[in-house]
Amino acid sequence: MRQDAAEIALSLGVLGLGVFAAVVTATLSGEGGYAGIGPNFIPAVVSAGLLVTGGWLLWEALAGGWRNRGAPEAGTEHAFHAGAFWWITAGLAAHMALIGWAGFIVAGAVLFACVARGFGSTRAARDAALGFALSLAVFLFFVKMLNVNLPAGWLEPLLGSAGI
Amino acid sequence: MDTLNALLHGFSVALTPMNLLWGFIGVTVGTAVGVLPGVGPALTVAMLLPLTVKLDPTGALIMFAGIYYGAMFGGSTTTILLNTPGESASIATALEGNKMAKRGRAGPALATAAIGSFVAGSIATILLTLLAPLVVEVALKFGPAEYFALMVFAFTTVAAVLGSSTARGLASLFIGLLFGLVGIDGQTGAPRFAFDVPELLDGIDVVVLAVGLFAVGEALYMAAYTSRLPETLEKMSGSLWMSKDDWRRSWPAWLRATAIGFPFGTIPAGGAEIPTFLSYSVEKKLARNPEEFGNGAIEGVAGPEAANNASATGVLVPLLTLGIPTSATAAILLGAFQNYGIQPGPLLFQSQTDLVWGLIASLYVGNVLLLILNLPLVGIWVKVLAIPRPMLYAGILVFATLGAYSLHQSWVDLLTLYIFGLLGFAMRRFDIPVAPAIIGLILGPIAETQFRRALAISEGDATVFFTQPISAAFLAVTALLVVVPWVLRRRRRAKTADQTAL
Repeated sequence: MRQDAAEIALSLGVLGLGVFAAVVTATLSGEGGYAGIGPNFIPAVVSAGLLVTGGWLLWEALAGGWRNRGAPEAGTEHAFHAGAFWWITAGLAAHMALIGWAGFIVAGAVLFACVARGFGSTRAARDAALGFALSLAVFLFFVKMLNVNLPAGWLEPLLGSAGI
Repeated sequence: MDTLNALLHGFSVALTPMNLLWGFIGVTVGTAVGVLPGVGPALTVAMLLPLTVKLDPTGALIMFAGIYYGAMFGGSTTTILLNTPGESASIATALEGNKMAKRGRAGPALATAAIGSFVAGSIATILLTLLAPLVVEVALKFGPAEYFALMVFAFTTVAAVLGSSTARGLASLFIGLLFGLVGIDGQTGAPRFAFDVPELLDGIDVVVLAVGLFAVGEALYMAAYTSRLPETLEKMSGSLWMSKDDWRRSWPAWLRATAIGFPFGTIPAGGAEIPTFLSYSVEKKLARNPEEFGNGAIEGVAGPEAANNASATGVLVPLLTLGIPTSATAAILLGAFQNYGIQPGPLLFQSQTDLVWGLIASLYVGNVLLLILNLPLVGIWVKVLAIPRPMLYAGILVFATLGAYSLHQSWVDLLTLYIFGLLGFAMRRFDIPVAPAIIGLILGPIAETQFRRALAISEGDATVFFTQPISAAFLAVTALLVVVPWVLRRRRRAKTADQTAL
């Protein structure tokens, strides 16, 4: 009988989310006024729903695998490419760390280059330059035209002296 | 007559230069995201939601609606030339459209898709204009109990009845509902699931969830599983003009598809996938030479493309008149209304006539703009398709992070975005539908409010949901939708078991 470790793990994840929700729900007030039910009622329903569907998925995963899982057409997918996955993750992590102090434009350029690398581009310098240009254009449009507040970071003195 | 006056007033709003401009930006961006694989209307509207702070509601909503149905137009171009559906609503088109392109008939395929979309979109907009005031009449009689029952109905159909698996649909819905609980309880002001994190006290924003699931999840998935595959782009070939025979075969398909697509849009049927496939099989059944299907039959492009536009417009009926989103994009549009403190529903037609009729009138204008954008200018969109995949996804993620970061200027939102991205990656890989989670997040808190209001009015008497006729009817239909397919399946299984026993 087919059993997929990832399906079992995901089912356990849904169950775990249900347990977590139930534990938090137990700390909520049940004081309800006229309605007779408090802020804890719907959370209890949702917790129960997660526990039931988690259990259901786990049962399916153990008894022959999840039902009707659409298989991708032949030739539309290749095996999991770990490098691609981690390059994108690294790009987002770097962006998170950089945006506050290096600023939106630098963080955007790094993110752009990492994602392009993840998708198989090999020209890192060109990608970084493209990312820089795109982020700069977006920054100017959002900050100047729409007054959205974005951090200038390292480029602040530069942008400032250019009168931007 | 009232409707006609209201619509004329709507045109006076939609045709002001600023609103025309917003409409034009909307349909152009919509066509572009429809053309680009990997960016859909739900994601685009979600990424642009933070802009609502800066724009006036009418202009912003005209733009968002333009993106929504513009994407339905643009999706066909990608599908026909690339054999990768630009949108899920274009999967049925891929069956015939790409075959036509391979046989050198890309031009007529693109033309029948664009003209069919225009015809279906315009007829559907007329139907919306006529139908909306009638639904409003009925909806004005709804109280909290009726609304709650209606939302239970919507949750059930979106999560449990449609899609390949009830268990996975429900899991997605409950995860969305759980995210919807995060933040301050609207009735008592008590914080729930926030753990004193300021970003969580505000609640989980639909921007972060939708962008995380669609953009980050999709990028992770495409990079990990498809980035090393070769791509084939069909050349634009054949004249854009349809022959007399093409016209004769296309127009009945457009009209039939409108009749199928519009009603499907108005009920919670999870978007445009079902009506497009339904239209495809109807055309195949009615075709004079069915053997042509599978080798590039023009009816197989005309029908599904018209159906997805009709259903996109149909979706606006429950969204505007009842405040019930029936697809992921509609849920995000509802989020846009909420950002302005506007709750769509019957009262919208009384308190915000400029907004709602301006929006409806803009659909007529938008369909004309889209026909112009998509037919003579199709060559430009073909160029958009040539953007290399690495640049495309890198650009998408720059915009995705911008949308999330601009909410609180905080990296915590970026971390949440990545976590939702991982969730989206898993959901994509394991065939778990995303729409129930997004609808749960947006509609869950509204359903809870209605539920508690109904009980407060009845002083805690839960039978109110079953004694009010309209509410009881909704709940009965919901129960039937769950029970009937289950019984049918059991009987079929019992029958096959009998036969094997014999």
